[in-house]
Amino acid sequence: MAPPVAPATPPDDALDGDAERPRPRGLAADTGQLLIEGVRAFRGLFDVALRTVYWSLKGRREKGVVLEQAFEIGNKSVFFLTVTQGFIGMILVFQSGLQARRVVPDLTMLGATFLELLVRDLAATLASMMLATRVGAGIAAEIGSMVVTEQVDALRMCGVDPVDWLVVPRFLASVVMTGVLIFYAGAIAYFAGGATAWAVFDVQPQTYLNARLLDIGDVSIGLAKCVAYGAAIPIVSGWCGLSARGGSEGVGIATTQAVVFSSLAVIILNLVISGVGFVLFPV
Amino acid sequence: MIEFRGIMKAFGPKQVLKGVDLSIPDGEVFFLIGSSGAGKSVLIKHLIGLLKPDAGQIILDGDDVSKLEGAALYRVRKVCAMVFQHATLFDSMTCAENVALPLRKHHNLSARDALAEAQKRLVQVQMGEFAEKYPGELGDGMRKRVAIARALTVDPRYVLFDEPTTSLDPVSARRVDKLIRHLSDTLGVTSIVVSHDLASIFSIADRIAMLYQGNLRMVGTPEEFRNSSDGVVSQFIHGRAEGPMEV
Repeated sequence: MAPPVAPATPPDDALDGDAERPRPRGLAADTGQLLIEGVRAFRGLFDVALRTVYWSLKGRREKGVVLEQAFEIGNKSVFFLTVTQGFIGMILVFQSGLQARRVVPDLTMLGATFLELLVRDLAATLASMMLATRVGAGIAAEIGSMVVTEQVDALRMCGVDPVDWLVVPRFLASVVMTGVLIFYAGAIAYFAGGATAWAVFDVQPQTYLNARLLDIGDVSIGLAKCVAYGAAIPIVSGWCGLSARGGSEGVGIATTQAVVFSSLAVIILNLVISGVGFVLFPV
Repeated sequence: MIEFRGIMKAFGPKQVLKGVDLSIPDGEVFFLIGSSGAGKSVLIKHLIGLLKPDAGQIILDGDDVSKLEGAALYRVRKVCAMVFQHATLFDSMTCAENVALPLRKHHNLSARDALAEAQKRLVQVQMGEFAEKYPGELGDGMRKRVAIARALTVDPRYVLFDEPTTSLDPVSARRVDKLIRHLSDTLGVTSIVVSHDLASIFSIADRIAMLYQGNLRMVGTPEEFRNSSDGVVSQFIHGRAEGPMEV
């Protein structure tokens, strides 16, 4: 099987002059144009995803590149995730405790329900949304800059598929590190929530640390989300970077798109996996 | 032999190429000139499959490049190399690693063999002592020489130069000219050079083509261009601000 063809990049000098000038058109034409662009974008994304899988299985990695990306994606996200997930854990437990106390004055199951919620959904989704902003933006900016400075074309001239060289190491690193980070972020949120429960609602740690509600379904759904989000963020962001056009403005647009589309991908995948999960492992 | 047949290309509403027909025989140093945005870079990128034409054919050694996909395009890029305008070296790799990359990917050499060969190629462009430096540590002219070494490392029969002397000092620029001429004279390499550098054009070109408003305005020898009575060609060649040329 031959690797799919990389998308071509219009050079800078082709995009000046009246290329960007809007022309008056009708609603039907605008809608049609939007649809065509949407289909084209989806095909582009699908093409990048396909090639990422192909080269992940077939390609040979340079020594150390995946580890380098793992460090970029993983280690450099630790502080960011610690802060955000810590606060989110505290806020969620505080709000849940307040709401629960109005209905039943018993908060002994606060830790158990929060843990189930974290494992089944929130740890993966919230941490991945954070990673979509930090990691997704970084991937798109780096690849986008290489596109507009013709380095990606130079890669093609060297006989290298840019997806193999630029996206696959980030993809492999992300699949592993997103899982690790989600586990870590979930633990931070859970323990920060525990501290809040103790300080605000006087829920003792031995009561809060309760895994009674966890089952194989929760763990399976959580793990599926880890893998899916870890795969989606670099593919979507890589596609945004490879689609960058023009100069620095194009890189800026690609970076913004990477954050938006990666977050969207996380939410859509969450819906799909949760839906399938509820069918396979009913609560 | 390179042939462009009726090449048309648009980006959005802008028609950049409006049916370009051009033949370039082997061994020629062929210059492509025209104002910025005329479509010179666009035209040569079609030859190596970095762009696909909306209409027309690009014939390289009998194959229509516009119809090639995937691995077949990599075969084209083995015989037809390109030196980009801004050197486009990979910042995370040393000069030697940059030059070794096409050898490893196109010729499947081991990393060690490719690096040894890259060292030789760097010596040929007087960059041997900078093999272990990173591109960020070099000046523009040096980076361009490394980029040329990288392009020539697969022994291509065709080389596309996109403004090779832009941003170079006059001495470095003339060295690049000399190298392009040398490639043609001694190895029979066909060079297509996109340039605005009149000193280069009139010192090493065998033939010149001028692109203007999406079409070829004139194709001829440097002498024919010098003596052209076409107002647009004359204005461009003599670098006059006033004249019939529309920007």
